[in-house]
Amino acid sequence: MSKIAEVKAKVEAGKSKLVPGLVQEALDEGNSPGEILQAMVDSMGIVGDKFSSGEIFVPEMLIAAKAMSKGVEVLKPLMAGDGSTSLGTCIIGTVAGDLHDIGKNLVSMMIESAGFDMIDLGVDVPADTFVQAVKDNANVKLVACSGLLTTTMPALKEAVQTIKVAYPEMKVIVGGAPVTPEYAAEVGADGYAPDAGSAAVKAKELVTA
Amino acid sequence: MLTKRQNLVEVMRGGNPDRFVKQYEPFALMMKTPISRIKPPVGGTVVNEWGVTLSWPEGQLGSFPVHDEEHIVVKDITKWRDYVKAPKLDYPEEAWVTAVAEANAVDRSDQYVTVFVAPGLFEHVHYLMSMEEALMAYYEEPEEMHALIDYLVDFELRLAKEFIDHLHPDAVFHHDDWGSQINSFISPAMFKEFFEPAYKKIYSYYKENGVELIVHHSDSYAANLVPSMIEMGIDIWQGVMNTNNIPELIKEYGDKITFMGGIHSGLVDFPGWTPEIVAEYVKKTCEENGKLYFIPSQTSGLPIDSFPGVYETINQEIDKMSEKMF
Repeated sequence: MSKIAEVKAKVEAGKSKLVPGLVQEALDEGNSPGEILQAMVDSMGIVGDKFSSGEIFVPEMLIAAKAMSKGVEVLKPLMAGDGSTSLGTCIIGTVAGDLHDIGKNLVSMMIESAGFDMIDLGVDVPADTFVQAVKDNANVKLVACSGLLTTTMPALKEAVQTIKVAYPEMKVIVGGAPVTPEYAAEVGADGYAPDAGSAAVKAKELVTA
Repeated sequence: MLTKRQNLVEVMRGGNPDRFVKQYEPFALMMKTPISRIKPPVGGTVVNEWGVTLSWPEGQLGSFPVHDEEHIVVKDITKWRDYVKAPKLDYPEEAWVTAVAEANAVDRSDQYVTVFVAPGLFEHVHYLMSMEEALMAYYEEPEEMHALIDYLVDFELRLAKEFIDHLHPDAVFHHDDWGSQINSFISPAMFKEFFEPAYKKIYSYYKENGVELIVHHSDSYAANLVPSMIEMGIDIWQGVMNTNNIPELIKEYGDKITFMGGIHSGLVDFPGWTPEIVAEYVKKTCEENGKLYFIPSQTSGLPIDSFPGVYETINQEIDKMSEKMF
């Protein structure tokens, strides 16, 4: 098995202690940082698909993402300033009045693994704060809004609509337990995903379309 | 007419109930014991008996553990013994007076004197160390996680002994959320390894000491964990959401475990609720799931509502369905 294939396999298996060494070996073998990063992104794509289909669960996804981030640490110094590998910046947050962060964190991790630079605004984020974050950060291509409660659905709607008024071309993706594709369309979001794995797929699809 | 208790027994044994069991009606919950866990008031923050900081911000439907760097209890799982200290459980008899009086006031031929335990083991672990860290530690430090869970089991067994000695409960209502709306948080294999034996120990202890009924709350998807629930000794899974295929579960497991829920609280207990919305969901759940091995109930884990009137309206609608279907 080539070193790059090993990196891919170990990221998928969540072996965070082994991945940095294997990434270094893959570099030593002559693979470019971009190729290695792409292999890890591909791995996380598989992890996301398996999560979406119910084949794996949250711990397996978490350890895979951790393994990838350990690998990325090795690559980072070699890729500094190389924006060509990024899909752009994604702003993410849980909407005003809602303090749930676990689902949002998983989505953030998976979107990051797909190749975005993430700005996580945390929980209980007012609509205007999403807009300000788009303004304050470079190369923002996507905003992801999460809401877990039926009681905070109006805040989700407000967030999407406020972002769209300020930045009509900005892609906005929404998710959370009570959100349906119909509701997402109704409030004017560009995309909806039922889980963290599909969120990464949808995020990529929206910005590369 | 059967008593509430007799009616529940008929539902659970697949016999001849004379009406639907109406949500929590067979359970007299004992909430005022000296060993019941501390919860923050709405708008407040407390540090509970285990050192976990819990906050209940205004406008939220529940409290949250605070997991920033400063407040997290277990900062390193390999050193959990340095951070985790079980609270004391030995209180003088005077501290039990209210709870004992409440238990004595219950007509046990009609209702089960029911002790309440929350959070359960899975939640307790992530209260102590955050969800993400806990879930990764099941892979990265399994021996430490087993040891931490054993420590919590030991505490729960001592808690159970106190309840049994003072209140002689007929039932235990035990919370532990094991999943999201669409899946369990961890795989059935991991659940079987870490939690099945732990809960089996706790629930067996209750049963060996006169407790008739184990009611476990997890308002989530958890259909894939039902075999483990049965093995643990759970009699009623409360909180079963309709994202589980409840009719299928009843068909497959009804003779071993009863399902309580079907009425997703998020869909009926919200600011814009109406009696018509409640009626629609109650009718649907009663018709879909039938009269045996099933208790129509909101999925939330206590007989209360977030928006006044919902809980009672559900009860009234269940009465109507009882008239119609029995």
